[in-house]
Parts: sequence; structure tokens; C-alpha cells
Amino acid sequence: MEHSKYNGINVKKKETVTYAVVGGIVIAIILLVTTVWVSNSARVSTSQAVKRVSEFYLEELAGRREQVVSEELKNNFAYIENVLGILEESDLESQETLRKFIGKVKRLYGIDKFALVDENGIVYTEHSTTSGLSRYHFLAEGLAEPTITTSNLYGARKQVVLAVPVEDIKFQGVNIEACFIQINIDEMLSSLTLQSNNNETYCSLYHRNGEDLTNDDFGSLKAGTNILSALLEADIESGYSYEKAKNDFTYGEAGEIAFQYRGVKETLCYIPVEGTNWMLTILIRDNVISKQISSISADMMHRGIVLIVITVISMSVVFLLLIRQAKKNARTLLEQEKADGDRIRAAYAQIEKEQASMDNIHAAMGSGLWSMEFNERAEVISCTWSEVFREMVGYESEEEFPNRVESWSDLLYEEDKDRVLTEYWDTVKDYTGEKTYNVEYRLHTRHAGCRWFHAAGRLSRREDGSPITFVGLFVDIDDEKKMEERLEKQKADLEDALAAAQHANRAKTTFLNNMSHDIRTPMNAIIGFTSLAATHIDNKEQVQDYLSKITTSSNHLLSLINDVLDMSRIESGKVKIEEKESSLPEIMHDLKTIVQADISAKQLEFYIDTADVVNENILCDKLRLNQLLLNLLSNAMKFTKPGGIVSVRILQKGNAPDGWASYEFQVKDTGIGMSKEFLEHVFEPFERERTSTVSGIQGTGLGMAITKNIVDMMGGTISVTSEEGKGTTFTVALQFRTCSGPVRQEIVPQLKGLRALVADDDFNTCSSVTQMLSIIGMRPDWTTSGKEAVLRVKLAEEQGDGYAAYIIDWLMPDMNGIEVVRRIRGIIGDGKPIIILTAYDWSDIEEEARKAGVTAFCSKPIFLSELREILESPFALQEEKNEEKETLSFEGKKILLVEDNEINQEIALEILREAGFVMDVADNGAIAVEKVKAAKAGQYDLILMDIQMPIMDGYEATRRIRALEHCALAGIPIIAMTANAFDEDKKAAYEAGMNGHVAKPIDTPKLFALLGDLLRMGDK
Amino acid sequence: MFKKLLEDKDDHGEQKEKGFFLGGLMAILGLCSLGFAGCGKEPAEAPAQEPDETLLVNTDSGGERGAAIEFDHKLGEYEPLKDEYNFYFTYKIVHPWWDAVAIGMEDAAKQYEEMGIIINYEYLAPSVVSARDQIRRMEDASERGFDVIGVDVADVDVIAPVINELIEEGHKVMTFSSSDAAREDGCERIAYVGNTHNYEDGMQLTEALCEKLAYSGKVAILVGTKEAPCHEDRALGAQDVIAQYPDMEIVEIAYDDDNVENAYKLTKAFLEEHQDLAGIVCCNMSNPVGAARAVVGAGREDKIVIVGMDHDQEALRYLRDGIIYALGVQDCYSIGFDTVQVAIKIADGHLPGDEYPEKTEETTIIVYQDGAAEMLQVLYGELN
Repeated sequence: MEHSKYNGINVKKKETVTYAVVGGIVIAIILLVTTVWVSNSARVSTSQAVKRVSEFYLEELAGRREQVVSEELKNNFAYIENVLGILEESDLESQETLRKFIGKVKRLYGIDKFALVDENGIVYTEHSTTSGLSRYHFLAEGLAEPTITTSNLYGARKQVVLAVPVEDIKFQGVNIEACFIQINIDEMLSSLTLQSNNNETYCSLYHRNGEDLTNDDFGSLKAGTNILSALLEADIESGYSYEKAKNDFTYGEAGEIAFQYRGVKETLCYIPVEGTNWMLTILIRDNVISKQISSISADMMHRGIVLIVITVISMSVVFLLLIRQAKKNARTLLEQEKADGDRIRAAYAQIEKEQASMDNIHAAMGSGLWSMEFNERAEVISCTWSEVFREMVGYESEEEFPNRVESWSDLLYEEDKDRVLTEYWDTVKDYTGEKTYNVEYRLHTRHAGCRWFHAAGRLSRREDGSPITFVGLFVDIDDEKKMEERLEKQKADLEDALAAAQHANRAKTTFLNNMSHDIRTPMNAIIGFTSLAATHIDNKEQVQDYLSKITTSSNHLLSLINDVLDMSRIESGKVKIEEKESSLPEIMHDLKTIVQADISAKQLEFYIDTADVVNENILCDKLRLNQLLLNLLSNAMKFTKPGGIVSVRILQKGNAPDGWASYEFQVKDTGIGMSKEFLEHVFEPFERERTSTVSGIQGTGLGMAITKNIVDMMGGTISVTSEEGKGTTFTVALQFRTCSGPVRQEIVPQLKGLRALVADDDFNTCSSVTQMLSIIGMRPDWTTSGKEAVLRVKLAEEQGDGYAAYIIDWLMPDMNGIEVVRRIRGIIGDGKPIIILTAYDWSDIEEEARKAGVTAFCSKPIFLSELREILESPFALQEEKNEEKETLSFEGKKILLVEDNEINQEIALEILREAGFVMDVADNGAIAVEKVKAAKAGQYDLILMDIQMPIMDGYEATRRIRALEHCALAGIPIIAMTANAFDEDKKAAYEAGMNGHVAKPIDTPKLFALLGDLLRMGDK
Repeated sequence: MFKKLLEDKDDHGEQKEKGFFLGGLMAILGLCSLGFAGCGKEPAEAPAQEPDETLLVNTDSGGERGAAIEFDHKLGEYEPLKDEYNFYFTYKIVHPWWDAVAIGMEDAAKQYEEMGIIINYEYLAPSVVSARDQIRRMEDASERGFDVIGVDVADVDVIAPVINELIEEGHKVMTFSSSDAAREDGCERIAYVGNTHNYEDGMQLTEALCEKLAYSGKVAILVGTKEAPCHEDRALGAQDVIAQYPDMEIVEIAYDDDNVENAYKLTKAFLEEHQDLAGIVCCNMSNPVGAARAVVGAGREDKIVIVGMDHDQEALRYLRDGIIYALGVQDCYSIGFDTVQVAIKIADGHLPGDEYPEKTEETTIIVYQDGAAEMLQVLYGELN
């Protein structure tokens, strides 16, 4: 039995060996056949590759050879230059010295001929002097540049000729114009190392017409054969063409051609030689390539077969070893699997047991339980949700809430989803096991909406860190969470409130600090100077000085108070925009009048002009428009140093709807400018870039905020550009309803075609006035120079095309306007009108100007209507009535002053009595009413009525007076004189029946002006 | 370099081929070189005189083509007695015809230099033919101690006495190139090297034309200057050849006064007059240029066969382009080459006799289209 078993084993062994041997042979045959096939394919590929490489090699070789040849030619040119460089006067003394020199050079450079050619066509060489140049065709039309050519191409000594033009060399008084050398091509090329070690590669030079430049055979081509002619007889291989080769030669292009010539397959590569009409050619015989290919292929085949035999033997040995090892391994694995199975089963049993216990515990605790299992690739292979878990999210059975991860993940609140899933997978895939899963999130429960839950879990992992199980708890924390959110919100609200309170407090502090400083400063002056005045009451001059300073400080204090109150009212919404019919020219002229004094005082240059304004009458709140422009201008003046420029410009834009007009007001200065940081806050209240203490410039810091608010209320925009040290430009864009059509723009017939000259150093004024003149039909010229204006006038008069009107700026840098007028009058006489245009008060110079010949004055900014009016008038301001201002005497006029404050009473009485008024006083409204009732007609010419008074206020008193039956008494003009200075106060005063309003503190000129108006009106 | 980079074993045979090829080439060039001697009466400024002595005509046989100038002459076996010679040559006028002579001189001098014998020479001419200028040059040369003075005689009557004077003074004077002052002219010059066979040239050239026309057709003859011996001789030769063939007829004989424009006008008239004109024989250098221009202008280049003399560049271009059928070209190269050899022998004290003849007669060759490019290259450096 043992024997038969042994025999059986042997038989099996033999079979195995047989199978191995047969298998090896089969594999060997397959490999062999494959190798032969691959070798053949490789031979074809190799053949193509070798051919490509050889072509590349030929190109490369040709390129290198070409470089060598062209270098040699360049070297020869260099030799010529060298020779000419060393040619000395002594060499040019006689024919003998010249020949000696040439001989020396010839031998030095080993050249066949070195020759100099003079301007008479005489050629000097070492042994000859000859005339006649026809064979040197390159000299035929004068040699302008170095030239390469050939000679004796059909003779045995083919030569290359290199010629260069020569300058500055004379021989026997005749200019040498050219120098050339002749070198035997064979000799020149023999000195170059161009040979290859390959015995079937040829190299040669041909002319582009195909003629051979050498005396050597070139492959199968005999020396002297025209290569193009030879190619014509050759069998050209497919993929190449004779025509291309011929064209390449003709045009000096590099290329290749393969052909069979006289039974030999050859490949020709050609490349043009730089600077010549030559082609360098390289020829290789294909048998060189094919021998190489065959050699490579055979070698590959032999090596392949040897490799196969070695491979087969090695494989057979390896197969046998592998079979033996595999059997051994299989036995070991079987035993291990059995042991592992027992261990895993025990472990599962333990886990199930523990899980059951856990379920019980968690059910008791009211927390859900979940568990997952993973394979080695961390993919979920099972997922279990406990019943409690399901109930917590509102589901009752596994059908409703299956044991899948998606059952849970689909319920995740959108905002939390990414965070929770990221946390989940990060934990699962953290093979280090350091990360724990502990998250709070919201789930969409089935019945209770969205609720907060807290989940925490732990992973058990394999040795490599991959997860096995993931078990965790799930607790509803919605109530706690919502409580927490409420607390958070309350906390945030409290913090906001605190911040707001702190901010308000800071703002208040800032405001108070500012105000404290700003109010104390003038107050200090007022009190201080008042005290000083009292001390020096007898010194009139000193007292006057103190009073003046007190006035200044008081005015400042007043403006401060006005600003603060204005701002307060604007912010509280009490200020309203009241649109009334207004004239833009009037507003602008008023504005100019107001600032004129300050402009002069600060010695500023002031420009004011208009552009394209065609709607001059608008509906707007004139007071507020004035206020905002004044604010901007005040700012500009305040921050511009003496000598600086302040300008105002109004532009009408064409983008307004029907019945509206758009304007842009630009206020520009060349003042100190603002920093970028400050620009962002310039319109915020109490913002000042520098403290007044530092900058010396006072202000509340409310001006710009007020301006911005006014612009906002008017529905406009304000913008600012500024650069520190260069200046600031404020641009206000506003849109107003128009209350009349555009100003007349038709041509003035009597001015049509007449010339007018505008001279103003401000280009903008020139531009706008010129445009206006064009509109009314004149032919305007303009200049920014006074001198040029005079010249132009002179020229125009000489040409007989003089100007019909002149508009001259008063202040021009090169020549004063008055002087310009004087000179123009000297040229044109008295006939034509000359108008002085100025932004300044001209009263001081009016007399001088009129003497110089000024016809009229016109105030800037000039509007079209004004210009038209002044030009349409007979230009006779001579006819202008010098209306003397009616000076009204207040002497004997009777005023009832109604004022409860004694000090105010005293001030008013003093001022008015000094003006000649006869004063009576009432301490409140009731007394005033009684006094009027008791008065006779004419006893009081006017009543000055305070508003806020005890017993009866001013409004009531006025109403009662107006209600008196006696018409004369009831119609007595009443002026409110009150510290209630706001618009609504004025309005209330008018509504109560008053005729005017004067704000306290009293501005005496204004008061007198108003009194004058009302009293004159009363007289009439 | 630029030869076969590595010789293979069969090189010997190829060398043989190469030798054969070179030999053939040399033969062709040699033939070409013979064709230069210019009876080329030049257009406008060309000299009136031309080689006026008849020499042997070494023409290409009618059936063979490819004749060209040989530029690889070998020196004779004579061994010069000195190591250095100084020659002065003056010729009639600067013109390509004489530039070809210069090539031969230069080659001879070079070959002597390779032998260690230095030949210094001057080869100069004025730009306008002037016997007076020639006398001045000869007198200047006589004062500079040249071994031999060579003269291409500008005017026999004027120059011959000067030559005689110089001979009497002990100077060695020879004539060369296109014009001799022969003994029969009363000149004592020692020897002459040049062309002397114009009648034969005319015959040979016309024979080529007749052959091309298969000995049938009407022919016009253009001649240069009336009574210029070389021109008249060639015209006579032409007439005599045509007279031999009964189917051929001379319809016109006209003189262009060595002016290309005249040649053009005359030919134009021939063409208008004789619509069946088959050929034109041109006896000087201006004739073939004018004739070719007119034929091309008339668009009859395929119908008219032109033969002419000399190697004017434009004429050679017409030859290359097939407008002119053949040109008789004098061998200027050989004139120059042989002039130097003869001058050495004269300088060495030899008189005409065994070493050299009193007149070395150079040949004329008929050059056809396939030899034109070589001629243009050699004579004018032109290589298209």
C-alpha cells in the first residue's frame, strides 16, 4: 500500500514535471514567435527611426559645415580688413613698395591673389598692374559692401573672390576704391576640418544654379557636374521632388532630397552658406543606413532569443518553487482562519451581550442609541438606530425610520448638515483614534419641528486604525439650547444697548468738550474785554478797541449758537425746505456781496462765474441755498491763506426733466486741504480735522454737517475732493423746478455779426461769456491777457474789423483792467461800449474807471439775461440815473418798544434814540395793547415787539392790535424783535400779523434798513 | 577638402572617371578659350582696328557641341634663363575682349611663379583708342628698363616708327593681341602673337549656319565698318560659303558702322522686307547684339538663325538663351598666355625661329548654347 501510495505520488510528480516542461516549451514557442514578430516590426520602426535620425544628422552636419565655411569666409574678410589696417604710407610710396607689401600679405595669408583697385580701374597685384575690370563683375557698378563671388568656375583652379570697398587710401594721388582677394576654393576649404569618419558621407559646395564649386566627386556625381542637372536624371524617392530641390537651390533654402542615381540610393541634404550664393551639400548613401539597420535588427533578434531561453528556464524554476510554497501557505492559512473564526464569534457574542445591556440603560435614561459597523475601507456595512432614538425623532418603526445612515442625515438641519457630517466622517477616518465625536445639531423631527440634539460616540478600531464599530448616544437638548439662545440674545441686546449708550455718552462728551471750549473762548474774550473796558472807561480809544473785540467774539459766539441750534433743529426734523420763486443771479450776487468783505480782508483772489445757465428763475428755498453756499464759501475762505484763490462756479446740466433744471455749484479753494482720513468724516457733526487751538481756525465743526443736511433735504448731493496743501473742491448738485422758461436766447438783431472782445484772466469766465455772446449773435474773441487784448484791438482796427463791444476784467495780472480800457480807448476812441466785469466792489475805483473810458460795470457772475440786458441797452450808462439813495431821517419817528427784559430794553432804547427815534416802552404785550388802544392815530409810527414775554406774548399782542377797530392803530407796522430766530418763528410772526422780523442780538444796520423800508412804506 | 570624405576601395575607377571628366572639361574650356580674339568692333567706342590677319581657324566640327574656353593651358617646355622678368604691355582700349587676354597672361605668370620664376608685368590701356597715348606709354616704358615691351598696335602708320625707334635704342618690342605692325608694314618688331584669320572665321561661322538651315533658305549679312579688313574678310568668307549652296540666297548685305542700334534697325528692316528670312550672319561684335534684339522684338526667334562674332556679354546671353545659334569667339586667353611665353623667350635673347614663330597664330572657335554659361562666368564673372 505504501508502495502504491509512493508510486501514486511519483506519478503525480512526473505529471507535474511534464506539465511544467510542456508549458515551458509552449511559452517558449509563443515568446519566440512574438520575438521574431516584434523584431521585424522593430526593424521597420528602427529603419524609419534611423532614417529620421540620419536626416537629422545630415541637417545637423550640414549646418555645422555651413558655419565652418561661412566662418572661414568671415575670417578672410577680417584678413582683408587687417591688411588694409596695417597698410602704411611707406607702402604706398611707389609701385615697388606696394607690390612688396602685397606680396608679403599674399604669403602671410596664403592667398592666390591680393589686389587693390583704384578709381581709374587699374588693378594692382604683387606682380602685375593691369587695366580692365570686366571680369571683376562685382566692381562693375561700384562696390558698396563686402562681396563674395567666384571666378574660373569652369577651370581647374576654381576661385572664390572676396572684395571690400576701400576708403581713405590713395596711391600715387589716386583713390583706391576696392580691395579683393582670390583664393583657390580647394585650398581655402582644405584648411578646414570638415571631414567625417564615415566612409559613405560626402560634403561639397555648389552654386545656387547647381554648378560645382569644388574639384571633387560628390557621391556618384563626378566633379564639375551640375547637381541640379544630375538630379534631373535621378529617380527621386517618393516624398521628395526635384522641383522643390531646384526651388530651394534657387532661393537659397535648406532642404533634403532622397534619390537613386546610377543605381545608388543616396540622400542629399543642402543648406545655404550665409552671405553667398552657395549651397553646402551633404550626401549620405542609404546603404550606410540600411547596414546599420540590419545590424541593429540582427543584434536585437539574437539577444531576444537568448533572453527567451533564459526567461523560460527561470520561469520554470520559479513556477515549481511557487507551487511548493503555495501549498505550504494554504495549509497555514486554513489553520489561522479556523482560529480567527472562533475568536470572532466569541467577540460578537460578547458585543451583543453588552449592547443589550446598554440598550436597557439608555432606554432608562431617555437617550437614544445608535451603532454602526465598518469594513476595512471605512465603509458603513450596517447601521442601527435604537427604538428610543426613533421615538425621539418622531418615528415608531424600522419601516418608517430604516437602519440607514441616510435616515438620520436626511433629517439634519441645513445649516448644521455640513458641519455635522464633516465631524462624523473626520472622526470615522481619523485612524489615529484621537478624535472624538461630540456634536450638537438640529434635526427636523416628525412632529415637533426642528429640535436640538446632542450626540456623542466612540469608535473601536482595527490594528491599522480602520474603524470597526461606532457606537453613540443621542440626547434631546432642545429646551436647554433654546434657553441658551434666549440668554445669548438678551446678552447681545444688552451689549448693543450698552454700546449705544456709551457712544451717545462719548458723543455727548465730545460735543460738550467742543462746546465748552468753543463757547468759553469767545465768552472769555467778551468777559475779559468787558472787564478791561470798565477799567479803562475813560480811555475812549481803548474802550472802542475792546468793544470791537467784544463784538467780534460775540458774533462768533452767536454763529456758534446758531449752528448748534440749526443742527439740532435739522436733526429733529423741524427745518423744512420752503420753495419760493427765486432768481439765481440774485442769489449769486447776494452771495458775492456777503463774502466780498471777507475776501478783501483775507486778501484772497476770488472768481465767480457761470456756465450754460439758461434757467435763471427757479423755485427754491433761497435762504437755505444761500446758507449752504455761504457755509461752503466760509469754509473755503477760512482755510485758504492770503493770496490763495477761492472760486465759485454754477453750471447748468442738461439732464433735468421738463420743468426742472439741474445745477452744479462748485466751490473751490487753494487752501490747506484735507487728509484722506478726514474726508471720510467731513460731513459728520462736530468733526474738525484740527482743533481750533492748533490750527488757529475756529468753528463748531457743524458747518459741513448742516450743509450736508440741507443738501439732503433739497434732494441733492454733495461731494468733496481735496488734497492736503493743494486745496479742496466741494460740488453740490441740485435740481430745482423752474418758474419761468429759459432766458431769451434769440439773437439780438442789432448785435448780430458784430465782434466782441472778452479779456479776463479767468479762462472759465472767458469761456462762459464768449458762449453767451455767441448765443446773442455776436462774434466773440477772448484773451486771458490784458496786453494781448490791447494788441488785438489794435490789429482789429487796422484790419478794419474792429470790436463793437469790450468786456474787460478789472483785475488781470499782466495789466490792470482800467489801464487796458485806457489804452483801448486810445485806439478806438469813445464810440464803443467797454464794460468792466468784476467780482469785487468797484465803488472805490468807479471814478477813475469812468475817466479811463469805462462805459459800465457788471458784477460777476454774469448771467445771460444780464449780459443781454446790458448789451441791448443803448450802452449809455451815461444815461444811468445815479439814483441817490434816499436817506431817510428817523428823526421824530415814534416807536413803541415792547420788551420785558430791562437790559434789552436799555440796549434798544439807546440804539434807537441815537438814531433820532422817540421811544415809548411797554414791559409786556398786555401793556403794549393797552398803550396802543389808548393812543391817538400817529402817536406811534411803529412797534418793536418782543415775542416771549410774561402776561401776554408778542403774537397775542399783535393779534389784538390788529384786531383793533381803529384802522390807523390796527395798521401800525409791527416788527418782531426776538431771540426766536428760526424760520418757523418768523412764519409765526407774520401769521400773527407782524410786518417784519429782527433777530436778537440786534444787527443795527439790518434793523435800520427794515425800519426805513417800513416807515417809507408807511409814508407812502 | 570637399572631396569624398573617406575614399572607398573603388576610388581608383572613379578617379579615372574624374580624370576623364576633367580632361573633357579642359578640352572644352580650351576650345572656348580659343574663341576670344576679338575682331569685336566695339559698339560706339570700340576701336576701328581688329585682328586683321588671318589665322588658322580651329572650329568646332559642325555636329559637336559644348565647345568652351580652356583656361588651363600648360607652359611649353622652354626653361627661362632668368628668375625674374619685367614686361610692359599696352593695348588699344579697355574692353572685355582684352580682359580675356589678361586672364591668359595672368595664368602664364602664375605658372611661371610656381616654377620659381617671377613675371612682373604691366598691362595697361586708355579708355579711348589713342595712338598718341600709346606712344607716350611706350616711351615711358622704355625708360623704366622693362625686358620686353609689347604693343597691340593702335595705328600701324603711327606706331610702327616708334617701335622701330625703340628697337634701334636696344629695346625688345613685340606686338600682340588684335593688331600687328608687320614687317611688310615696315615695322621691325620682333614677333607677333594674335589672330590673323578673319576670312576663315567668316567661312566657318557661315558654314555652321548653313548646316543648321540644312543648306537652304534666305540669308542676310550684317557687316561692321566698310573697308575694315577683318569685317570685310569675314563677310567675304560668308558670301563664299553661301555661294556653294544653290538653295541658299543672300538677300541683304548691310553695314552697321559698329553700332548696335544700327544693327537693330537694319535687322528690323530685313525682317519686315523678308518674311521668309531664315538666317543672319553677323561679322563683327555689334552685329549679333542688334540682330538678336530685333529678332526677339519681332517674336521670330524660333524662325531666324543668327550666327555672329565675338564675345560681347549681351551676345553671350542671347547665345545662352538660344536666340543666337553660334558665336565665333577668338581665343584671347591663349593670346595672353602665349604672349607671356614669347616675351620670355624674347627677353632671353631668342629671335623667332625654333623657339617660337614670328607670328604665333591663335585660333577661333564656334561656341554654341551649351558653352555660353561658361563664357559668361569666365569673362564677366556672371553666374546665374
